[in-house]
Amino acid sequence: MSTEQALNTFVKETGGWVASQLEACTRCGMCADACHFYQATGKPEYSPVWKFEPLRRAYEQRFTFAGRLKLALGLDRPVSNDDLATWSEIDYTACTLCNRCSMVCPMGIDLGPIIHGVRSGVAAAGLVPADLADATQKQLDVGSPLGVDDDAWEARIEWISDDWEVDLPVDVQGTDTMVVFTSIELMKFPDNIAAIAKILNAAGEKWTLSSKGREVVNFGLFEGDMDKTRLFLQRLFDAAVELGVKHIMVTECGHAYEALRWTAPNIMDVPAGIDVTHIAGKMGEYLRTGRIKLKEGAFDTGTLTFHDACKIQRKGGHIKEPREILNVLAPNAFKEMTPNKEQGVCCGGGGGVISIADADVNRFEAFELKIDQMQHVGATDVAMVCSNCRLQFVDGVQHFGVNVKVHGLSHMVADALVVEEKTS
Amino acid sequence: MNSAFTITPVEKGIMRCRHTASMSHEDVQALASFLYDYDGKLLVDLTEADPQECAKNLANFRPMMPTTAIFGADIDPAVLEIPDSYYVKDVRHFKTEDEALAWLREQ
Repeated sequence: MSTEQALNTFVKETGGWVASQLEACTRCGMCADACHFYQATGKPEYSPVWKFEPLRRAYEQRFTFAGRLKLALGLDRPVSNDDLATWSEIDYTACTLCNRCSMVCPMGIDLGPIIHGVRSGVAAAGLVPADLADATQKQLDVGSPLGVDDDAWEARIEWISDDWEVDLPVDVQGTDTMVVFTSIELMKFPDNIAAIAKILNAAGEKWTLSSKGREVVNFGLFEGDMDKTRLFLQRLFDAAVELGVKHIMVTECGHAYEALRWTAPNIMDVPAGIDVTHIAGKMGEYLRTGRIKLKEGAFDTGTLTFHDACKIQRKGGHIKEPREILNVLAPNAFKEMTPNKEQGVCCGGGGGVISIADADVNRFEAFELKIDQMQHVGATDVAMVCSNCRLQFVDGVQHFGVNVKVHGLSHMVADALVVEEKTS
Repeated sequence: MNSAFTITPVEKGIMRCRHTASMSHEDVQALASFLYDYDGKLLVDLTEADPQECAKNLANFRPMMPTTAIFGADIDPAVLEIPDSYYVKDVRHFKTEDEALAWLREQ
């Protein structure tokens, strides 16, 4: 463990943008009320402003006169190994980097990336929680944080293709779009893969999977290790370039969308002419342009609500499309939770939190907020476009014995596809 | 329920899945659908199943299984092996139904 490496990372993270954000913070504490971990537990150390305290201290002590003076007079102390261990627990097990805090900050501070900077420092000091580090190591070694190697991936794709009777093209040159799934879809929710394939085929999309770029999740981003983040992104971009595609489509995953669409252009050279899309946006586009037709009212029983994923709705802006779809599938049953859309409350399992066993208490406490929201509208069903959220919801409703059925939106869309008979 | 498998209650929190015949595509999708929604523990009864069919299905469904005890057929333990991960639940093989049920009740 090296505190010096952590401090150097904090200093490296503290460019002009971060410095301006840190200087702008008035410590009003409004961010606390936006944080689901703080709301659920009431622990002051889970307040977002406290989550970036080590970086703020490192900045103040290195770059400001007041900070250096306080240090010299013994009124403050440098960031220590113990501090880093404490913030490892806080920033990895009680923060999903959902960035809801930034929505309420009266100074407009973008807190999520700053907290991510603290993760980077803690990672540089070798203090990533063991479960998260183990998953990242699996992604480095075999290409998947769940340990899915090439043979297992091929076998799984073949099984889904056979038993769900769907065409899953692999390594096809000359297509427009490389579609990349998550290992959690592959292993836990194979129906999602079949569903998305059916939608793309119905829409007439020219697409392929890649055996080289087969994992869209980026555990390097969760750790805050930007070298690993770049490496995992590079695998996808290399695969896309090799296939000659114009688009990379992210399936039901949120952080992968952030990594590919926003993080990548900021930290590495990305190949020109390849854009990044998300299945949530594409499904909306297919519906609006008539490339797919859906059976109206296919899910119009009970009360169906929608969970907004942090990186797909709040960050990605795909707020309208799922609602346009749900208004077709469930025009009477669809009811919004409150708050929703860009203000939606995180499920509690994102940002790698779900992979850390020590975070289970926190993530289940945070999930109680979602239960309250669902119960408030009398939800019998909940849909979402992120498989990580889906896993957290499945875990959460099981843990608390809540009678709500959890759906991936793609699966619902695939089930409601109207396939028109071709006349010769 | 489908002909290839039956799901029946054992006691509160435990369901028995009896594998009885070769699974069609519809059976596979139906079992997958059941596993998405089921939040209890599973007792898998393979006494009437074909061993080869068992091995194939166990390997395919292993990542989706809840806490599960399997009995009724000699199976290669390798089909239950899966890289340890946060989403993976404990699945074990037993010689008898009594042993399987006893373990399941302790979970």
